[in-house]
Amino acid sequence: MAKRSGKGLYAAALLLFLGGAGYLVFSGISESSVYFLNVSEALSLPGDKLHSARLFGTVRQDGLTRLDAGTGVRFQLEDKDNAGKTLWVEYEGPVPDTFKAGAEVIVEGGIQGEKAFRAVTLMTKCPSKYQKENRI
Amino acid sequence: MTLYIFASAVLRCGFFLAVAAAFVFLAGLLSPAAGGAQRSPLARIGAPCITALAGLLTLDALILFHAFAAQDFIVEYVAQYSDSTLPAAYRITAFWAGQPGSLLFWAWAVSLSGALFVLLPAYKKLGTRTQTGFCLFFTGITAFFLFLLADWNNPFELLDFVPEDGRGLNPLLQNPGMVLHPPLLFLGYAGFVVPGCLALAQSAGSGRAGEPKTEEAYWGDTARPFILAAWSLLTAGIVLGAWWAYMELGWGGYWAWDPVENASLLPWLISSAYLHTSVIGRKRGKLRRTNVFLMCLTTVSAFFAAYLVRSGAVQSLHAFSDEGVGLPLLIFTFVFLYLAGAAALCTTGKDARPLEDLSSKEGLLLFVAWLLSAVSAVILIATLWPVIINALITLSAHLPAFVAERLPQTPMGLEASFYNRACLPLLALPALLLLVCPGRKWKLRPGSSGFTRPRLFYAVLAAAVGLGLTLRFAGIQQPVALAAAACAVAGAAGILLHLSSGPRPASLLAAHGTHIGLLLMTLGVALSGPYQQKYTLTLGRGETGKAGQYRVTVRELYEGESRIGADGRPGYRFVEAELRVTSGNGTPLGTLAPQRRLYAKFEQQSFAEAVTLFGPGDELYAVLLGIDERTMKASLSFNVNPLVNWIWFGGILMCVFPVVGFVMKRPAGRSAGEGAPEGDEGDVAEMEETRENTVPA
Repeated sequence: MAKRSGKGLYAAALLLFLGGAGYLVFSGISESSVYFLNVSEALSLPGDKLHSARLFGTVRQDGLTRLDAGTGVRFQLEDKDNAGKTLWVEYEGPVPDTFKAGAEVIVEGGIQGEKAFRAVTLMTKCPSKYQKENRI
Repeated sequence: MTLYIFASAVLRCGFFLAVAAAFVFLAGLLSPAAGGAQRSPLARIGAPCITALAGLLTLDALILFHAFAAQDFIVEYVAQYSDSTLPAAYRITAFWAGQPGSLLFWAWAVSLSGALFVLLPAYKKLGTRTQTGFCLFFTGITAFFLFLLADWNNPFELLDFVPEDGRGLNPLLQNPGMVLHPPLLFLGYAGFVVPGCLALAQSAGSGRAGEPKTEEAYWGDTARPFILAAWSLLTAGIVLGAWWAYMELGWGGYWAWDPVENASLLPWLISSAYLHTSVIGRKRGKLRRTNVFLMCLTTVSAFFAAYLVRSGAVQSLHAFSDEGVGLPLLIFTFVFLYLAGAAALCTTGKDARPLEDLSSKEGLLLFVAWLLSAVSAVILIATLWPVIINALITLSAHLPAFVAERLPQTPMGLEASFYNRACLPLLALPALLLLVCPGRKWKLRPGSSGFTRPRLFYAVLAAAVGLGLTLRFAGIQQPVALAAAACAVAGAAGILLHLSSGPRPASLLAAHGTHIGLLLMTLGVALSGPYQQKYTLTLGRGETGKAGQYRVTVRELYEGESRIGADGRPGYRFVEAELRVTSGNGTPLGTLAPQRRLYAKFEQQSFAEAVTLFGPGDELYAVLLGIDERTMKASLSFNVNPLVNWIWFGGILMCVFPVVGFVMKRPAGRSAGEGAPEGDEGDVAEMEETRENTVPA
């Protein structure tokens, strides 16, 4: 499609661009990869592997303690499919509006020589669209 | 009740009508007579058929609106997403609060866009084969929607009892941003269906050798108003979604790289890539295959976005459940992708001239398309990364040990930092390119600088360097943020100077206005993201704390109740902190009153109402975390967000200016593709090169 001389230049530019973009992607993957685990998967891993992870689960009613005036929370994260599997999570910071016992949450953080998972991010699943529950 | 049974029947009738019509059009397209010069009966029934489908979906949409307005809680969907205390406006917008309603809204928007198109003169001027092909693909897509609606996602499912009241709409959705964000997204997605079907139809027609050829308008010109409108609506939907997250979620951010957000970005990026290659296609008659493929990819990426959102394939902040629509959406995506590839291959590219130099305007436009396509590919891969890793884990069980041990054994995904690291540098590049592109010539000649106004270019470049140095000394250290902010300001100024040099065609005005909007948004993102400051203060009445350059004093703490309607039904209870904000030297800046609310139907959760102290520079964002009843102290979270409002202002420009491109009248005697090449004022030789705006069909 391009001129004979121009084709080579376009191909070289495309390769250069893809090389640059590829470098960004691979360096990003190597530095930003974290375990994405449910609670039972996290419990099956040795603690030293959980220094940086994103965990999925539900908030258990037992032991749910809020720090004063909404500045943090301590709770048990329960496996969605295996109710017996739980992990203590401690979080300091603004607690999302929709956080409550039974809510599905995502926590990011890690276990660093302690038993509890120290979350730096606590997110509740958006209760908005596309959700269907037997709520009536 | 009979009304809703009737509405369900309408969905099923519509499905059978659409399927029957699709088969008829397929037979017509395969028949040798379809390419004849005479109008076939099929060409005559296409428009009524598509209009009838739009009528049926309109009828059902009105019935669902009625169900919400009348609070017919016998309808399960109405009972799930509204209640008697819901304000009237939110009662109507609860239409798209759940999956079945949003799917009906999307299908309705698709059908209306199709009906509008077949009623336009542009459709009537198309060849018979293209008309038949368009009707085939369009009725096929409508049938797919109706298939989902009639079976898995019927919004008219009835309960076997009438509840006293509904469950209510989640308070997070009771926000003006959420009133408009979903419908705008769906209107944007829907708007790309007509161009996608038209591209497929014209490509399907152009590949048959030995058939009589008729001259008809290039699909990119015919569908351009739909493409620009859809792009504007999608942009508006995404920007409003970001604003809603900023104001309502209470975490002070507007973008979290969540799979749902990424899903909406894919069609936007691909359609933006198309808009750049389409300029080359329309003005220079090149890249026709690329244009067909990108437009079809845009159309299908909206369906893939729906698959990501509604299938539960990836874990997300949003709550999903696969109600059976995931697999059909995935199958539809692959089928449409196959058609897109085939259509691109069928498109004739033999007559196209070679591309100009890489550093010409043509080359730079193509580079922008590469860039946007690459960003969309990176986002797609990163979003699906947990799925890819899980697939590798599954695969490793069936592979030899020496291969399996090199594959990951534990589910993994990518943090938001990945997107910031990989995507933000790429997304900052357009700001750099906009220093160069507006004044670049389409064709470079030996000895020429390649710029229409070389001095202006060098001045803009010098301004960018000067701004960069100034920002560096002002404390902006991050290279990407620094470069993006400096290029954004200098680039916007350069475009304004280009525009001020004389009257411009509407298409150029639209492009430049949109780019200014993009640059302002780039400026806002570059500085508000990495340079946001966060503070948490615990203050009692009369106590003062410091949040950055602001001093905040708690004047009073309140509790109260909001009642709704004439009968004073309880809406929500709230606690509120009245805050006086002053500058560091004591100058009063304003009063803020963040609240926490307990809604009648959601007593177990309290919802934050964030408030902001608006500013063109820094904006103070305040959230009441709670009030300790023992100490009567309020816990407050503050963010100081630099230049964040330029994101919304830039977003507005990006939504408005594309519309200028097709609303403003073109100069008499010129068709859509026959204007002077953009940015090359006075270049008569290039005007003579402008192609004839027709393709064989």
